[in-house]
Amino acid sequence: MLSFWTVVERAFNGPICTERDFELGVFVPNLRKIVEKYGIKYDPQNPVPADDDLADRVWEAGMEFLVETGVYCVDTERRILFSREEIDGALASGPCGRVFGEGKDTRVMPKRVPEDATPPWCSVGPTSSPLSSELHYVNLVKAYAENPLGDGITIPCLTRVNGQPIVGGSPLGIEGAIRAVLLTREGMRRAGRPGMPIVNGVTTAARAQEHIAAHHFGIRRTDALEIGTIHEMKVDFDTMNKVAFSQAASNLIFAENGVILGGLAGGPAGVAVVTAAYNPVDLLVLRGAVQHPFPTHFDLGITSARDTIWARSVSNQAVTRHSTLPVVNVGYSAAGPMTKMLFYEHCAWVIASVVCGGSVEVGASARGTALDYTSPVEPLLASEVAHAVAGMSRNEANKIVKALLEKYEPQLREPPVGQKYQECCDPVTGQPKSEFLELYLEIRKEMADQFGIQFTSVSPYL
Amino acid sequence: MSDKPIFQKLYNAIIAGDRSGLEKAVGDALKGGIPPSDIIEKGMSPGMKEVGERFARYEIYLPEMMMAAEAWEGAMKVLEPKLLESGSELRKVGRVVIGTVKGDIHSIGKNIVGAMLKMNGFEVFDLGVDVAASAFVTKAEEVGADIIAVSALMSTTIPQQKSVIEHLQARGARKKYRVLVGGGSTTQEWADSIGADGYGRTAGDAAALALKAVAKK
Amino acid sequence: MLSFDEVVERALTGPICTERDFDLGILVPNLRKVIEKYGIKYDPQNPVPNDDDLADRVWEAGMEFLVETGVYCLDTERRIIFSREEIEGALESCPRKVVFGEGKDAREMPRRLPEDATPPWCSGSGAGPVSTEWNLINIVKTYAEDPLSDGITAPCLTNLDGRDLVAGSPRGVEGAIRTVLLVREALRRAGRPGMPVVNEVASAVRATEHIAGHSFGNPDTDFIEIGTMHELKVDFDALNKVAYCQAVGNLTFAENGVILGGFAGGPAGVAVVSAAYNPVDLLVIRGVVQHSFAVLIERGTTSSRETIWARSVANQATARNSPLPMVTPVYTMAGPMTEMCYYEYAAGIIASVVPGGSIELAPPSRGVVVDHSGPIEEIFGNAVAHAVAGMSRKEADGLVLALLDRYEDRLKDPPAGTRFQDYFDVGSGTPRKECLELYRKMRREMTDKFGLKMALTSPYL
Repeated sequence: MLSFWTVVERAFNGPICTERDFELGVFVPNLRKIVEKYGIKYDPQNPVPADDDLADRVWEAGMEFLVETGVYCVDTERRILFSREEIDGALASGPCGRVFGEGKDTRVMPKRVPEDATPPWCSVGPTSSPLSSELHYVNLVKAYAENPLGDGITIPCLTRVNGQPIVGGSPLGIEGAIRAVLLTREGMRRAGRPGMPIVNGVTTAARAQEHIAAHHFGIRRTDALEIGTIHEMKVDFDTMNKVAFSQAASNLIFAENGVILGGLAGGPAGVAVVTAAYNPVDLLVLRGAVQHPFPTHFDLGITSARDTIWARSVSNQAVTRHSTLPVVNVGYSAAGPMTKMLFYEHCAWVIASVVCGGSVEVGASARGTALDYTSPVEPLLASEVAHAVAGMSRNEANKIVKALLEKYEPQLREPPVGQKYQECCDPVTGQPKSEFLELYLEIRKEMADQFGIQFTSVSPYL
Repeated sequence: MSDKPIFQKLYNAIIAGDRSGLEKAVGDALKGGIPPSDIIEKGMSPGMKEVGERFARYEIYLPEMMMAAEAWEGAMKVLEPKLLESGSELRKVGRVVIGTVKGDIHSIGKNIVGAMLKMNGFEVFDLGVDVAASAFVTKAEEVGADIIAVSALMSTTIPQQKSVIEHLQARGARKKYRVLVGGGSTTQEWADSIGADGYGRTAGDAAALALKAVAKK
Repeated sequence: MLSFDEVVERALTGPICTERDFDLGILVPNLRKVIEKYGIKYDPQNPVPNDDDLADRVWEAGMEFLVETGVYCLDTERRIIFSREEIEGALESCPRKVVFGEGKDAREMPRRLPEDATPPWCSGSGAGPVSTEWNLINIVKTYAEDPLSDGITAPCLTNLDGRDLVAGSPRGVEGAIRTVLLVREALRRAGRPGMPVVNEVASAVRATEHIAGHSFGNPDTDFIEIGTMHELKVDFDALNKVAYCQAVGNLTFAENGVILGGFAGGPAGVAVVSAAYNPVDLLVIRGVVQHSFAVLIERGTTSSRETIWARSVANQATARNSPLPMVTPVYTMAGPMTEMCYYEYAAGIIASVVPGGSIELAPPSRGVVVDHSGPIEEIFGNAVAHAVAGMSRKEADGLVLALLDRYEDRLKDPPAGTRFQDYFDVGSGTPRKECLELYRKMRREMTDKFGLKMALTSPYL
């Protein structure tokens, strides 16, 4: 595979292009041409299509698109171009069997394919949802870490330090990032999972300096830094600086791409192709150990809409059939905690992801943006479902996902708000309230009875 | 000869985001003696309206909006001087300064809102991303804006929206502008707490708020 | 002392002000007012004045100026204001007897007064730009081998394997990491593995690079050099470095290069602003050392008569009134392997040490020419610094005047000097014969013509 420094060289020396010209003169026309050439069409009736040919066409479309488009470096205003040989070289060198975590919490990242019986990786946590106070932080992390099906943890985003709002890029951002890591380590220790890997280091950090500063305080080589591209197919020095540091520190990277449905990638077909194209980008530019996609609806800000689920399903199939780089899907649901809808949403996109060959990170509620609207219970159920559907056929998954969509789709614009963490759980003990546990058991039964999902007994809430 | 076919051409060019096609159609319309105001009101504006509506129905997305907006702006560079010559002026609904706050580099949401505002007849001054609080104020003063639209995606960058309002207050200019906020981590509660004049959860909300804001003036 | 959190709070909520209004509407008028009020006047005939009253007036002027002006935060466009009580509180809380380095290389930073016989702190080896990693290793090793060297300033890599090192880019991050690793190896080869690196990391421009490089160094005993911007300004990047250092428990050299001919105006203004920076370095930068130097706007020199005067007066003012020690960088205009370089070092060192400061031997050729580092000249500088500890200001004034006579008229067109790899055998790691001959000649001159008792510690006698 090309060295990272060659990629950096190309960021400095590649063909010059304004950002506007890249977006509307290169990216959009290329994508349209390729979507048409390969006949990629969104099918709203089948959010989880069982169509290997479609998957393969999406993959080829993605690779052709990447060769013609490249990646744009915002700081140098140049395109980083790759040949098809270089892309194939990267795919051939892709990381397999990367180990995360330490001691008894060590986990190997599985490489899966569609309808694979291999249990998926499940990261659990609030997926960077914001918390108003560090007072709840440790217990919340502890609750997530107590899930035996949780392979890795995503940590919440602190928004205040000593009562002051954290301003990203400022000294408060540095302190916030450091504090988030220290508190997380303590939360995991209390859960008896001291070696569990943090997979979204460091969520409170906005800029590279915050990531790197926090790193000193507890991000290990067996944790993952989450490093993302900019919409779409763009990077900047800050992103690449995080990569440079991770290379030197031998860190693992979750290479994040949230393709926006309704943005430059257009509709679901374009989103699927761009997501596929990002896979080798995540290897070559971000040096990822995992592709971490989340196609997001521009208006609703979620990944549980029908069109985003379709795009995710198809791109997961495309990527897992062709690439060695594993996929860990992350999801954002609309409803708030302690609502039936949130359970349904998480289950829908999780089933679609797992059956199509991916693993999952569950999961943000209330779009991942509402302060304190997070809970450990829904991700727990979603991780149980993820394990239960490993090996399921796509046809079966399609039926379940359609049935779940019927339950919540009409409410996506005005979802139930739910309850804040400190309302649905006891922040002192960290335990969900009894009515919350009842709801969890009710949904669990519903999933088993209506959809035949076979749950194990690992849940700490049984 | 009916003027309808030329208006249809103008309309189609906007829908297609065809800048050169629109400029040609404008040129043909002017040669044909059609007044600039008619070119805009009977051909181009209906096209923009349709683009906005198709976007709201998720039939088209950001690229189409941006290209339609660019086509419009290209045509207006030709038409505005003509309007002035003929003694009329295109009535702009209002002027908006928009940007993403300092420390935040996310632009898609801002771009969608900007395009939506243009669809609705606003003149939009886009400052880009990572914009200092004072720059919003300076630009608003420079162009005589009606609205300042401040976008922030992240929980740790939304405090900068408050900073923009504080900068306005420091310059004694708070009452001159309506401040609208939006972006992933913003909420109505947040907007109220910082004294913003409006919060738009979606691009459509932003446009509606903006229209309401100028109507009140 | 006010907490750093409180300072950050003031950066985020202090009175709003444009940069232009701060510079021309607040800083400049306030400075002019206090200079006049306190009667601070530049005396070109006495570059090292022997005047305690002047020193104390400069100090008072500096404190009054700071209270009225504050510090400007560029990122929030607000002023951080301190009261006199808060400034006094900071001075009283100043860290004392700070130890740098580890093991046998641990050194206590001295607090000195004018005419103090306490030996000064001496750090050096560069911060100058180098074209190859081997130059970096040799420069650092050579300086570190002198027993009088207390700390190292790391030279600045300019390329990575032949590719330009671009600040703020991933190459900047790798450059910072590589510098730290190379410096540590050089110190190990010199038999000084515990020696503190005082400017982690020279090639680092942004906080990202500093923090990244620091992860690969020795956080407990190395310093990060954090600077303000001209004049009395900070930004989030500087404050972020401070936030990180606070969390790690690092030591900080708080750097302020006051520009003579800039907003501070002439030598009098520079002296006052330098004094004002002392509590700023405590409160905002959380420094354990003030690392301040006056530099002439036109030539970028610190060895001109007026900058020497400003430096010596500011050092006296601060040494007499503040417990925060000063380590003054001494640059030269002339390049290495020239007599003028030696004279400039001697003048700058005497004008810093005798008034109560310690020194950092900064690179020749203003520190901007690639491979113009002078570790041998710097070892000479160590000996001069130790030789003048305890000297009177009157005697120092005479020496500096005599040295200025030898080079002042060449400041506009100084001799370029020689590249490091041309006077140093990089392979064996030893200076060439002509380098040592010049070094010894200049040592003898210091003894014979200027009466300095040069230490015998040098490895190159």
